[in-house]
Amino acid sequence: MEVEEGNFDEAYDVYACMQCGKCTGSCAVSLRSDLNIRELMRIAILNENGELEKHEEIWDCTSCGICTVRCPRDLKPAEVIVGMRSSLVEGGTIPITVRDALESVGTNNNPWGRPKSKRAEWLEDLDVKVKNISEGEDAEYLLYIGCTASYDPRIQSVSRAAINVLTKLGVDFGILGEEEPCCGSEPRMMGETGLFEMLVEDNLNLFDEFSISKIITLSPHAYNTFVNDYPECAKRLKEDDAEIPDIELEVKHYTQILEELIDDGRLDGEMMNEFSETVIYHDPCYLGKRNNIFEPPRKILNIIPGARCIEFDRREDRSLCCEGGGGRMWAEGTGTGERNSIIRVNDANRDEATVIAVACPFCLSTLEDARATAGYEETMRVMDIFEILDEVLK
Amino acid sequence: MDVIVCVKKVPDTAEADVSVGAGGREINKERLTFAINEWDNYAVEEAIRLKEEDEGTVTVVTVGGKDKEDILRRSLAMGADKAIRLDMEDPEDSFVLANVLYTLIKDQKFDLVLFGAQSGDFNSGVTGVMVARMLGISHAAMVNGIEVLDGRTKTSRELEGGLNEIYEIKLPALFTIQTGINEPRYVSISGIRKARKKELKVMTPADVGVTEVKPMLSLEKMYLPPPGKIAEIIGGSPEEAAAKLASLLKEKGAF
Repeated sequence: MEVEEGNFDEAYDVYACMQCGKCTGSCAVSLRSDLNIRELMRIAILNENGELEKHEEIWDCTSCGICTVRCPRDLKPAEVIVGMRSSLVEGGTIPITVRDALESVGTNNNPWGRPKSKRAEWLEDLDVKVKNISEGEDAEYLLYIGCTASYDPRIQSVSRAAINVLTKLGVDFGILGEEEPCCGSEPRMMGETGLFEMLVEDNLNLFDEFSISKIITLSPHAYNTFVNDYPECAKRLKEDDAEIPDIELEVKHYTQILEELIDDGRLDGEMMNEFSETVIYHDPCYLGKRNNIFEPPRKILNIIPGARCIEFDRREDRSLCCEGGGGRMWAEGTGTGERNSIIRVNDANRDEATVIAVACPFCLSTLEDARATAGYEETMRVMDIFEILDEVLK
Repeated sequence: MDVIVCVKKVPDTAEADVSVGAGGREINKERLTFAINEWDNYAVEEAIRLKEEDEGTVTVVTVGGKDKEDILRRSLAMGADKAIRLDMEDPEDSFVLANVLYTLIKDQKFDLVLFGAQSGDFNSGVTGVMVARMLGISHAAMVNGIEVLDGRTKTSRELEGGLNEIYEIKLPALFTIQTGINEPRYVSISGIRKARKKELKVMTPADVGVTEVKPMLSLEKMYLPPPGKIAEIIGGSPEEAAAKLASLLKEKGAF
């Protein structure tokens, strides 16, 4: 939503805020940053837009959504921050790294500053033949890889694992290769509303052109935006006479597809080698807190023979955010002290986990860094669930 | 202060695979992305900052087809007041381009003309300076600081070795802008949409009275540098590679 100058109160219904402070008390970064969502809600109530530039910590928010989950008045504090960022984006004064990421989405269709022509380079080491929907091949599902899993060398391994696993399990899927666009989730969370709208319009037309209606995403962020943001945005654009095709997207995170395969008897432990590890699952915010998807990843891990599955104390909707979302991959943040990802790997180490299982590219990235920083390279691995399956499937 | 900024749309070749086209005189452009020349973006930002500090107007100018208009729209969204596109094929060399721009600029009202110090495609860094000579006004290249005084500017130029030199320059003048002079603001998509109302004037070479001049340079051939023969990639296991490297270094007299 684009907020006109001095319009926060109406746009977000913030008068219902009673300043109880539950949002700030729940915030995953307020302990180590000046980010105080209660204060920002107050600014919104008073419409003090002019104050925003002084609040550099607006860029510290990871958009984990816990403030929204716990608001007793059903307000959306996390969206108020998006609105505030939007106001700063319109003014043009934003952190340089955020600026560069947004400009890169505009020119390269990804926030990583990498050329569009190299989006499919991760495919090069793959032995399996993959259908490319943009080259006219038909498939039941589009496997939407996403920007990070396309370009980040560590995360590309998840894309390759996904291809191997889905192919072995007989799922009829294809990719878009170089033609795959940015889903817009991160630009939206960084407050670039206009750019997000443009991506929604372009992407829905692209999906329509290639008759894509069923999508599997690797990233919970892409899942969330396709499921929760696209329909509302498309409706708004249509009202403004934009050319939006009438398509209903059926979008699933990959853990949901794998759960279906388990339920259909197409995936079970007998198809796997032993995985003699103590596995602890880290709930990504965009799967858990924002979409209440807690069960499918656990169900998959639980059928792996030999795996001893344990749980974090802070799990499911209380899971500690890894600080990778909400544009934070491109904004260092003002916070000092221990990063959440370090706390997370230390917790896993204390619980004697040998593998942290994740289901999100940002979690994989932040926890991998933390594992190295905290010195667990010899004793612990951080693996995406697709990587675990790729390793164990016979 | 009235400022004219000349901008150019260039391919992003930082990481892209650049290849030479069939004719041998052009690069293949199909898989490249194009955007405003980085140096020019700093020049536009600087012009807008000068306008914000003082009064005046900012006019952005480019030469080329309709596909070049997006960089003008973007500059208008940044805060420029007016844009002019001179509708013609890309000039053959910097001298022809300078002559075209000179013909256009000489009839405009201006105190200052800004160029990027160079463009990311050919990196010649000469167009701005040639235009200054044609206009017969003072100029400074590689400018990394401008302070406006009364009818003059205090202008800082970046020299080699980390040195700066500072001149007082009488206006009107022309500066070519070095990156780092400021931090260009972000231009949002909705900002670009809103700026559609601003004036974007399309002119033809005949409108401005461009006279034909002969290019000073003609491009003979473009080719990628041939791969060198000296590099040796040492293969094998880390132990083998290390032993091989050590013996090579010893052999070549490194220790």
